[in-house]
Amino acid sequence: MELNWIKIAGFILTPIIAFVVGVTYGGIVRNITARVQNRFGPPPWQNLFDIIKLYSKKTAINHGWMQHLGPAFAITASITSLFFIPILRDSEMFSLLSFNGDLIFLLYMMVFGALGMALGVGQTGNPNAAIGVSRGLSQMVGYEIPFVLALVAIMIQYQTTNLNDILSAQSQFTDWIIFQNPFAFIAGMLALLGMMGYAPFDVVFAPAELASGPPSEFGGKYLALMQTSGSIFAFAKLTLFADLFLGGAENFGILVIKTFAIYMFPVFVGVVNPRFRTEQSIQFFWKWPTAFGILAIIMVAW
Amino acid sequence: MISITGILGITFGAALLTFLLHHLVPKLRNIVAILAIGATGYIAWQLPIDSYLLHFTVGSFDIVLGNSAYSQLFAILVAVLGLFALIYSHDFMAGKERLGYYYMNFLISLGGMYGIVYSQDLISLFFFWEIMTWSSFMLVIYCCKDAQKVGLKYFVFSAIGAYAILIALVLIYSSLGSVTFIKVFTGFSSMSFGVQLSSIILLLVGFGVKAAIMPLHVWAPAAYSRSPLAFTAVFSGALSKMGVFGIGIVLFKFTSESGYFSYVQTTLAWIGALTALLATLYAVFQTDARKLLAYSSVSQLGYIIVGLAVGTPMSITAALFLVILHGAFKAILFFATGAVYYRTGSTDMNEVTGLIRKMPFTFFSALLGIIAVSGVPPLGGFISKWLLYESLIENNNYFLIIVVFAASTAAFLYLYRFIFSFWLGQEEKEFVDVKEVPWTMKGPMVILALFTLVTGLYPGLLLAPISKAVAYLGVSGVSYETSVLFNSWGNKIDMNNVIAMITVVFVSAFIFLSIKNRKRTRYVTTKDIHTSGEIPKENENLTYKLDFYKPFERALGNLLKPSVDKIYNRIASNLEQAFDHLRYIYTGNGQTYAMYVVVFLVILILFSELIFGVKL
Repeated sequence: MELNWIKIAGFILTPIIAFVVGVTYGGIVRNITARVQNRFGPPPWQNLFDIIKLYSKKTAINHGWMQHLGPAFAITASITSLFFIPILRDSEMFSLLSFNGDLIFLLYMMVFGALGMALGVGQTGNPNAAIGVSRGLSQMVGYEIPFVLALVAIMIQYQTTNLNDILSAQSQFTDWIIFQNPFAFIAGMLALLGMMGYAPFDVVFAPAELASGPPSEFGGKYLALMQTSGSIFAFAKLTLFADLFLGGAENFGILVIKTFAIYMFPVFVGVVNPRFRTEQSIQFFWKWPTAFGILAIIMVAW
Repeated sequence: MISITGILGITFGAALLTFLLHHLVPKLRNIVAILAIGATGYIAWQLPIDSYLLHFTVGSFDIVLGNSAYSQLFAILVAVLGLFALIYSHDFMAGKERLGYYYMNFLISLGGMYGIVYSQDLISLFFFWEIMTWSSFMLVIYCCKDAQKVGLKYFVFSAIGAYAILIALVLIYSSLGSVTFIKVFTGFSSMSFGVQLSSIILLLVGFGVKAAIMPLHVWAPAAYSRSPLAFTAVFSGALSKMGVFGIGIVLFKFTSESGYFSYVQTTLAWIGALTALLATLYAVFQTDARKLLAYSSVSQLGYIIVGLAVGTPMSITAALFLVILHGAFKAILFFATGAVYYRTGSTDMNEVTGLIRKMPFTFFSALLGIIAVSGVPPLGGFISKWLLYESLIENNNYFLIIVVFAASTAAFLYLYRFIFSFWLGQEEKEFVDVKEVPWTMKGPMVILALFTLVTGLYPGLLLAPISKAVAYLGVSGVSYETSVLFNSWGNKIDMNNVIAMITVVFVSAFIFLSIKNRKRTRYVTTKDIHTSGEIPKENENLTYKLDFYKPFERALGNLLKPSVDKIYNRIASNLEQAFDHLRYIYTGNGQTYAMYVVVFLVILILFSELIFGVKL
């Protein structure tokens, strides 16, 4: 096996970049939320310091080997999903494994982490955690429907299931799918609200109600790995959306701008909304977002 | 010995032998059963394809039995599942009563299934179909008195299906003069349109009862939860696939020139998709593990029917892949439930909890089973889901794919509930003495779990025989390599990379978690949790169990209120009332009977011209 050093550098750099960018986004968002709430937030690098602190903790507690493995499942899913998304278009270093997998695989890989975490959470024996998991799974049935509708519309429109082909079809500004299939864009962005877990769809973690839900019993190195995985996964999802709707990016500067722009949508919706109950959030996704998704498909089929 | 007579002879002979041995030398009976099925499995594997190995004439009917790639696939499924279930029964059924009856009916039903897959004419198909139904009915009512009511539902629906097949058989015979497959396949398009359509619909109804298509599925939850769990694995894994076998033949070998066929296919595809979705939603709210798995089986069969009905090469491949995989992972889940039942005496998910440290092998197999059902990579379930979705997208079945995907997402709910209820959650004092199950029960589970892993990594190994079966159905195959799958647009998925990536990252994360601060990582019990400063007392079990998905139930609202079961019950009670009125004919009075005779003679005389053609 010849060692393609460029590709290997890509494999090593990508998770690190994803982590740093994801964590910084988290910190900046805390500042934005704070300013909206008329206070000064923590410094933007606070999330990074929190994770470093967690990694340097000397003790950890677990309730069994399934909980011990939970964060391993989560980070496996995050990094594997990241590797199958083309980070930069037309780049040999950063297209990673995206030629060897397609959107349907990504859909299922994104669930792999949640499932593993849910199993790990189950062994902790904490009732709040189990309630959080049941809410999370129920909500997932909600937002996956418009998301898949949007993806199917795009896949049919461009007759491919591979992200690289979708990227190369968006060579010009006017070819971006946000303009070519706006209904798919709207359905996808509304689904993103559910995927990102900000208000009004944060009933899964519900800090003041469920004592933070699923991550309740995780501390030390487990929580550190979980938060790392969360940051990487957030970056992966944002890059996926940037590739799908905004034509990808040729260099990291443009990628940061596009992903941050997409990220602002759930954040801004989140800072001004209260929390939905689980059944309200599920029914929300089955109404207008699904309607937009169906419109997206009808627009393509005709 | 390598012949179909060999297979059938060994199976039915062993059935009789085990029954006799039960009364003479009980210890030998299990061994005889296992050896018999092992032998038939080997023969099924070695049997040459495309051979008519048995042909004789009874009266004016030709009885033909033969092998084909399609038959071989199903035969091996039956053999492997039967073998594992018999090995499992060795300990699971130890100490129960009437074991001779159990093993005999088990082997007879396996023999019936072999007969069905090797039939090459409709009469022997019907004959073995009835044998299979009758013996499995005996096993459904094996356990207890009240199982008879449940068994009755199964029997009535099976009878409806069987008579539908019989009527179709009669129609075809009166049109073509023969019911051997060769004649029917070639002569089908020469029959009149009415006969073609009605025979197809009747055959689909007949096979659909076994394949639990809605609304013919109502027998499934009750029957699966009553039969002994070792047999339920075969019941759901192999028996229901006999319906799929028949549907495959009807859809692809009964070729016709008329255009109505595409309507039949579309209707069937939508029925399959709705079955998948609705059965999944029903499964989410069950509290008994057996009923949950029963509804799960119905919904997986829905996927298979969608794959068959859509009819593209990739979708048929997906359907057949799921047939094999579903046999494997449903067997794992039923065996795991059986293991829990064996050790704790209950399959109620609200009662049993926290068994993960006591039954690690069972948990591991159930975990792989769950991951395979949900279709998450890198196990075999993902391959079948990938093939199905790709085929639906390529074929432009947009809305079908949404229903199927919604079913797939909702499947996570009941699967998580299954594994959480039995193995995770807080540990309970009542189950402190629960031990792991013996190796005859663990072995089949672990082997099947590893099978799902291998098919995920090397799907090409399973796709080879499936492509031959698909070719028998008259459709060209799908392109693949041992670890890479392609769709017709040229996109691919390379499972090598997937597995490599997952393994590398998972192992690194595991090593990191295990090594970092190894000496200062403590294990604490599940009672030692962060509940706002309180420590749960010894007798409080705070596992979240009851109404696990109440929010989801509220979100669905009135969607699940209408129930096909209620409709059937209403029809049945109305019929009962009508028959109740009808029985008043029998008054018990001799004079009334004499009047009936006189009235009958008068009618005969008055209408003699109409009836006899002569005027009296």
